[in-house]
Amino acid sequence: MKFREIVDSPCGIRYLFDELELQSGYARKVLLDREMMTDAGRIDAAYASLRRYYDLVVTDRRRVEDMRFRLQGLRDISGTLAALADGAMLDEIEFFEIKHLAMLAESLQLGADMDKVIDILDPDGLKIGTFYLYDSYSVELRRLRDAVENDPEDAQLQEDLANEEDRLKKMLSDKLRPYAPTLRQTLQALAELDISLAQAVQMHAEGLVIPSTGAGAVITGMFHPGVRAALKASGREFQRVDFSFERGVPATVIGANMGGKTVALKTLCMLQYLYQFGFALPVTSAVMTPFDDIRFCIGDEQDEKTGLSSFAAEMQRIDRAIAAAETGKRVLLLVDEPARTTNPVEGTALVSALLERLSDKAGLALVMTTHYTVEHAGQCWRVQGLLPGTKGRKMDYRLVRTASHEVPHEALNIARELGIDARWIELADTIMKKLYE
Amino acid sequence: MPFVGEILKYRSVSIVGLAKNAGKTECLNYIIKRLPLDYFTVAVTSIGIDGETTDQVTGTAKPEITVREGMFFATSEKHFRQKRPLSELYDVSDEDTALGRVVTARALQEGKVLLSGPSGAEALKRWMRSLKDFGIDLVLVDGALSRLSTASPAVSEAMVLSTGAAVSANIRDLVSKTAYVVELIRLPLYTGPDPALRVSSFSSLDAAALKGNRAIEVEGALTDRLLQLVKNGLGEGEIDLVVGDFTKVFCSQELYRAFIRRGGRISVRMKSQLLAVCVNPVAPNGIVLDSDILCRELSQKIGLPVYDIVKNEYEIS
Repeated sequence: MKFREIVDSPCGIRYLFDELELQSGYARKVLLDREMMTDAGRIDAAYASLRRYYDLVVTDRRRVEDMRFRLQGLRDISGTLAALADGAMLDEIEFFEIKHLAMLAESLQLGADMDKVIDILDPDGLKIGTFYLYDSYSVELRRLRDAVENDPEDAQLQEDLANEEDRLKKMLSDKLRPYAPTLRQTLQALAELDISLAQAVQMHAEGLVIPSTGAGAVITGMFHPGVRAALKASGREFQRVDFSFERGVPATVIGANMGGKTVALKTLCMLQYLYQFGFALPVTSAVMTPFDDIRFCIGDEQDEKTGLSSFAAEMQRIDRAIAAAETGKRVLLLVDEPARTTNPVEGTALVSALLERLSDKAGLALVMTTHYTVEHAGQCWRVQGLLPGTKGRKMDYRLVRTASHEVPHEALNIARELGIDARWIELADTIMKKLYE
Repeated sequence: MPFVGEILKYRSVSIVGLAKNAGKTECLNYIIKRLPLDYFTVAVTSIGIDGETTDQVTGTAKPEITVREGMFFATSEKHFRQKRPLSELYDVSDEDTALGRVVTARALQEGKVLLSGPSGAEALKRWMRSLKDFGIDLVLVDGALSRLSTASPAVSEAMVLSTGAAVSANIRDLVSKTAYVVELIRLPLYTGPDPALRVSSFSSLDAAALKGNRAIEVEGALTDRLLQLVKNGLGEGEIDLVVGDFTKVFCSQELYRAFIRRGGRISVRMKSQLLAVCVNPVAPNGIVLDSDILCRELSQKIGLPVYDIVKNEYEIS
């Protein structure tokens, strides 16, 4: 799974990607083409590296900004380097690109043998980033250039000059060819540096945290940066939430409407992606665990565009997730209110059955929000709920473990707090009492 | 040596032609030949390739610019590879145009280049900013054919206009068309309070909406349709239409005149400096106008000196 495939996931990870201040278009491309990590060792190594850059941001911001300024000059010359490796004769533009890359890398103390590459393209030792086929490459070149300048109409001289230039271009290409692999590594390293510095700066600006790796996920104080920014714009604050889950133990999240269940699920999904792509997390602290496959089942506008009813689209999405869980791989499955668009009787049956269907999957971690009362052997969490006497304006979004799987009957209270037509709500209350007392 | 001294007072000057073959390239070459490069570092580029592709279709010769030793120039990779004097590469941009990336180089000897620079005004501005490390004093921009956007004061500080028999074979018509553009270029700067009413070319307007508004801010282009709406709702009162700059005015001369007669005024947020008008009395189809009469008539009409630089071959300092 590449980053570009999940950047527009409904979990909202795009916000952090858009806010990432990359200096070069090439780094952006490299990041989008990055493969998701599934190996805990690789993830921890990536975080160890990010930690070093973060420390640099904290201790020596000026140096970081100097490096980032230089990285603005990073260009994607992978095509040129491939041509060089393939044995092509390069031209002045391509020599310029290579010299530019080598000088950039050297100024950032990156890459091996960059001094040797520069020596080839800087015969006069000028140490400046410009390039042309310097006179000093050959006595003959200089002689022919003078001759052509004195007699611009002489076709033979012009041809001789072109031949000599070609000979030198070939000679330079041959000299550079052994360095093609190290140049390619250097180009990659520069893009990685750009990405790491941008991540470290973002970590500092947004107050993000590097997690540790464990057998299950234990998250305290998570927040959704995109939602937080939107709330901040209207003068409100995001309430941080704790949550934990593990493989083999399904978890359901129940609670009031407007209680932030969906936002919590989106945040969990985003955290998982961020973790497996080596980004710092919007949490107070976290232990995370890698998965081979991450599946987020939530209705989105795409359903309508493809002409599927929301129910059909949802069922198909969950169907694919079941198939993924069947493979025995480590799968994280996040499902937002399954079967919510159908009647509550069948809906409850579908949700209960889904939990049972997936109950023997040791590699699966399942987190599901629902409005239905479903009994299962896993964990049940509920939203703390509406703060009384606040006219429906104050919600306590914290998630707490609960023994009862009975969904709270809070909708009427919330409606009352919102000041909805009193007569309507009282009638509903009477019906409820008849049903449940 | 007319008007070259004026050019040196600005950091960016575009050379704009009112039509294809109006003599823009001769004008640019005329200026380059006369720049005192011992004291000034000059860069030259062109905008986009529109018009140039038509050249490839019609097979007319592609305009070549002669750059002098020490001058910077920016052109596409393709044109850089095709033709250039010995030159030192300074930058290869990250942005792709239809002809490849934009290459910035300094000529180490005099020679001809094919110019095809950044595509579009925004890309051109970015390129101009990227030059800051090279110590360049003046940027000359070869404006795209029949596209004035390069001349926008948002892009370049001053402009030279070239016009000629290619615009019209009738001197009176040519003078009238050119004078209209000159009039637009010289639209006054708006100095009043910020207008309460803002409209765009998609707005619908009636007399009621205009009532009580002495000034209207136009966002984007001022089109015939929009001007007609304002004129219809105007009654006899005075009104000021405020546009970004003269390149945003896309109105026919007739409607513009009618609007002015009604008591309307158009003013701009940013004003261009018109440094000179050059004429080319020769049309591509062979028609030759009388250069002296053309220069005299146009000069009288616009109140600015008008030069036929080809005929007069003004001396080089």
